[in-house]
Amino acid sequence: MIELRDLTKRFGDFTAVDHLDMTINTGEFFGFLGPNGAGKTTTISMLSTVLLPTEGQIFIDGSPLNRKASEAKRKISVITQEFSMRQDMTMDEVMEYQGRLYYMKKKEIRQKTDELLKFTGLEEYRHRVVRHLSGGMKRKLMVCRALMTDPEILLLDEPTAGMDAISRRQMWNLLRQLHARGLTILLTTHYIDEAQSLCERVALIDRGKLDTIDTPQALIEELGEFAVDETAEDSLRSTYFHDRNDAIAYLSGAGDDSVMRNTTLEDVFVERIGRGLGKQ
Amino acid sequence: MSNGSEEDWVNNNMGILAVLWEKWREFLRDFYKITLAATVSPLMYLLVFGLGIQTTSHGEPYLNFLVPGIVAMSTMTGSFSAVAQNMSVQRLYEKALDQVMVSPTPLWQFILGQVIGGALRGMYAAGVILLITLPISSSLIFNGWSFLIMFLNGTVFATIALVLSFLAKSYSDAPRYTAYIIVPMSFLCNTFFSTDQMPMGFRQVIGALPLSQASDMIRRISAGGQPGILGFVVLLIYLVIFAGLSVAFIYRKKNL
Repeated sequence: MIELRDLTKRFGDFTAVDHLDMTINTGEFFGFLGPNGAGKTTTISMLSTVLLPTEGQIFIDGSPLNRKASEAKRKISVITQEFSMRQDMTMDEVMEYQGRLYYMKKKEIRQKTDELLKFTGLEEYRHRVVRHLSGGMKRKLMVCRALMTDPEILLLDEPTAGMDAISRRQMWNLLRQLHARGLTILLTTHYIDEAQSLCERVALIDRGKLDTIDTPQALIEELGEFAVDETAEDSLRSTYFHDRNDAIAYLSGAGDDSVMRNTTLEDVFVERIGRGLGKQ
Repeated sequence: MSNGSEEDWVNNNMGILAVLWEKWREFLRDFYKITLAATVSPLMYLLVFGLGIQTTSHGEPYLNFLVPGIVAMSTMTGSFSAVAQNMSVQRLYEKALDQVMVSPTPLWQFILGQVIGGALRGMYAAGVILLITLPISSSLIFNGWSFLIMFLNGTVFATIALVLSFLAKSYSDAPRYTAYIIVPMSFLCNTFFSTDQMPMGFRQVIGALPLSQASDMIRRISAGGQPGILGFVVLLIYLVIFAGLSVAFIYRKKNL
């Protein structure tokens, strides 16, 4: 279980994360959504202890997480947004270094490396230096490295950023498999469809503050499950309805270009966060 | 120590070995570059000041003064560059330090691994110079004490490099630190001429710097004398201060 208690991070006068308070349950697939600069990556950086909170605390299974908390850190693996690894190491070396930092035995490191590189289709490139890998390969290597140590908690900061559609779907399947094994997964993403497809609960973050936290379905129901889109000149306006008949009735009175559809998590995101940004 | 407790000790300190392994791999990967970098500048100094400008110092061939100084200087530059360059790139450019921060390896072990690895790289650089100068300095004595001083000097400059790389704000700060700290020390700290020749006040300040002490001790041994305790004390004081700062930074710095 991950608990964020009153978590705050300031950089000078700028507050990147503002008194976040939430609990992510063991085995949960949790999404952290917000526009650019919302504080998602800062929160992940505090969870990986690269940044220390200005105020508040993080608890992992009840134990405070800090730079000295080796036992708590042993449970966590992070896939950062940037390719945070030695660029002059080969894939094999990256994996071995990770294993050594987690005190794994050499035989175990070798077995796990073979298994993971095979699983992600990277086996034939294992002697290639990281600098010479494509973006997608580096991303897969980050996944392999994170899974090397059998973590209980996986933190993913924009894991599919820059991936093509096929690689994205492969990554989704992989994450589903990991979640099925009981891993607690915390995902930050720009892709709202990704969060809707994968996450059991999501938190919407805006300018470092928690806007709301619930299941994607509950958030959609709160807004209204049915949406009617109307195109007027160069803008698109969506109206939401709880009742299908109300939506149909509205549609019949709307313009010819109007369409009815199911509401998505992206609609919730735009309505709750996007409107706020528009008011700035 | 029983086998069980030996195993426990190894298991509890695996982080140091992990960092040393990482530095060893780096050494093997960049062997030729590291060796060339360790050789070129000292060799130039030896050629120009030692062989090109033939002179004497205190009635002895100048080379007898110069070689121990160059050896001490090589431990400084070798250790400093091994850590400063590597850590700055890892922290600011590659973000590879994140991998260490999130791992269960205690961060003091990471620091210790960096310091030992850096000092060994400094000793390697000095070893290269010793090999090269062997034919021209066979009368000089280098014994276990000399190597201990080289290692100690290397640990001091590895910790200084760690502190500076934690303070660095951009990747380009690493070469600046070399220009502002390492280059002046190379020329002023008892490498090419004795600090005795410096004006009062300045002499004491320069004499208290770690490279001056290391050069002086290695030079005394090379002439058949004793290194003296003061130099060890000075180097240990620097080591404790900068190692303490490195540990404080890695545990307490809010934004690494």
